Amino acid sequence: MKIVESAELASFREQCRDWLQDNVPKNRPDDGDAMREFDLAWQAKQFEGGWAGINWPTEYGGRGASVLEQLIWHEEYALAGGPPSGCMFVALSHAGPTMIVSGNEEQKSKYLPTILNGTENWCQGFSEPGAGSDLASLKCKGEIDGDDLVINGTKIWTTYAQHARWQELLVRTDPNETRHRGLTWIVGDMKAPGLEVRPIKTMAGLEHFAQCFYDDVRIPLKNVVGEVNQGWKTAMTTLGFERGTGTVAHQIELATRVDRVIEAVKSFPGGADDVQLEMLAGLKSEVMALRSLTAASISRGMHETVPGAEGNIVALYFGELTRRVNAAAFDLLGPHSLERAGYNYPAHFLECFKWAIGGGTSEIRRNTIGERVLGLPKGPKAV
Amino acid sequence: MIVDLIPDEDQSAIEDTIVSFLADVLPVERLRDAKAHGGAAEAEVWGQICELGLFGLGLPEDQGGLGLGLPEEALVARALGRNLVSPGVLAQLCAPHLATDEATRDALISGEARATFGIADGYVLDGEGAEWIVVFGPGGASLRARSDLSLAATDGGLDHTMTFERIEGGAGNAQPALRLEVLIAAYLTGIAQATTDMAVDYAKQREQFGQPIGAFQAIKHSCADMATRASAADTQTLFAATVFGAGMDDAVEAAAARTLAKRASFENAKANIQTHGGMGFTDECDAHLFLKRAMVMDMLGSDARARRAALTA
Repeated sequence: MKIVESAELASFREQCRDWLQDNVPKNRPDDGDAMREFDLAWQAKQFEGGWAGINWPTEYGGRGASVLEQLIWHEEYALAGGPPSGCMFVALSHAGPTMIVSGNEEQKSKYLPTILNGTENWCQGFSEPGAGSDLASLKCKGEIDGDDLVINGTKIWTTYAQHARWQELLVRTDPNETRHRGLTWIVGDMKAPGLEVRPIKTMAGLEHFAQCFYDDVRIPLKNVVGEVNQGWKTAMTTLGFERGTGTVAHQIELATRVDRVIEAVKSFPGGADDVQLEMLAGLKSEVMALRSLTAASISRGMHETVPGAEGNIVALYFGELTRRVNAAAFDLLGPHSLERAGYNYPAHFLECFKWAIGGGTSEIRRNTIGERVLGLPKGPKAV
Repeated sequence: MIVDLIPDEDQSAIEDTIVSFLADVLPVERLRDAKAHGGAAEAEVWGQICELGLFGLGLPEDQGGLGLGLPEEALVARALGRNLVSPGVLAQLCAPHLATDEATRDALISGEARATFGIADGYVLDGEGAEWIVVFGPGGASLRARSDLSLAATDGGLDHTMTFERIEGGAGNAQPALRLEVLIAAYLTGIAQATTDMAVDYAKQREQFGQPIGAFQAIKHSCADMATRASAADTQTLFAATVFGAGMDDAVEAAAARTLAKRASFENAKANIQTHGGMGFTDECDAHLFLKRAMVMDMLGSDARARRAALTA
């Protein structure tokens, strides 16, 4: 345990800060094509500035930043008020890294550059109506017909499907296999005939995700990444890319929100009472814990330990805490918090429910912590 | 500020030494025997404890210490908490920092003079044999000679494995004691971790409905929440210890550590009792010892009012 400081890191921080200060775009549109254009333009700008793919290896055009540099970048990004990667998120954090680990040379040279320079974005096609938390039970079919896979079925909760050019698509290619076996990971073409995308409105009132319907959609077999029927393995290989730095910006944003509520409550005529202060102090200590949990997971990353199931502890903590923080604003600020003008507490509150659901619900994360961190038995068996 | 929260080789070695010593010499089971209570078990092996060289860990070498810092002390305090070691040992780690003359400091570092904790207008804990009392009062702590305090014996208190002597006054000239706040948080974090381990072990062994109860989500999720609370308290406490004195707001860092460590130790100790079911409610099962100790130790140092003032400043 020690403080990590060096002249190189300090100068890297300054470099990040200067560039971000001059280039971070403001007023990201909430949804629609304007949002897509905004996200892609910001990616293109980062590419020109030499910051695209901060954690991608340099041989694939990334910045190849060390764990500490990534941490600094994300800290400065949050402090500069940088926008979410939005429509570029899947491409940068999942599809691209998967391609780097499992793709062949032709696939890498076709897809990776267009991600980094912000010309093409991706969505993820994993979840299905009958395969949510139980992802391995997915049914969407891929049948080999000549040089193509013919896709039939549906995918759901596909974030920004209506805005994406490509899709990392997990389909069942061996109907005789079950669970994790017999799946294939392919590059889905969002322009292919037979694919229909129906946006779904969230409780926050925005159309950020969609359901995809595949009716004899033909995807060339050369789009298979990894081996046919080995898709589960392909989908899981990106884990090594995550070094705990991905959540730094969210953590800083949440801490800022708590400070903002503290200030707002204290500025009320008569100031804050003891009950309010107790609630605020609890939340403040929890966002500090989130920072320390994140620091611990980055520390593990620094020592090159393969990321383990402990990451679920940070994710669970964040998912639950963010909802408490956003809900507290209503308890503490009263009717002022109801209006969408200004800081827009309703939008933050309604949107934040996704963190305890998407990418693994809190309940699934508790199972994973119980079984894979604490070594409790799987189960229960039917009694 | 970037911190590396993974203990380095030397830090791990210090922790391993104390953890294996306590496992051998002061296991929690010792407290099932009343003869070990009130710090008696620690007094019996005092010479061996002193040989570990813990008490000057965080003092500069020119003051007779080892020149290490609060992170190393926090690892020791956490280990003490896990084994419910008498608060006197933790006080002995703190006392040399508060000593105002060299002779006292040296005697405390060597263990020749023993210390324990007290609360002004409250109680001295496990005071038998302690010449020096680290007394918490408004604004921090002061090191008082036992002979200068007005003490009266009691019939005991919440934690039946400890002794409580009533003090009248005793605050003295209290100095800010943020370092002690972090170490109390570490002790409480040790309790939060030990109770998690105890509940998890039991959940793996105890069978009902034909399977280990840890297979049921009601128990599994409770264990996951225990681990999460312990992790939050632990990482924040180690963070506060690591950045201590380096220009961040130590008062806020320490207050967060105490707040989280209190919550984790109380909630986990209660969840551990619940996981053990009927056994958990018995005197025979060690689960209750952790809850009682956590509740007593949390009375030391800052109170909720002081912490919320720091956290919302």
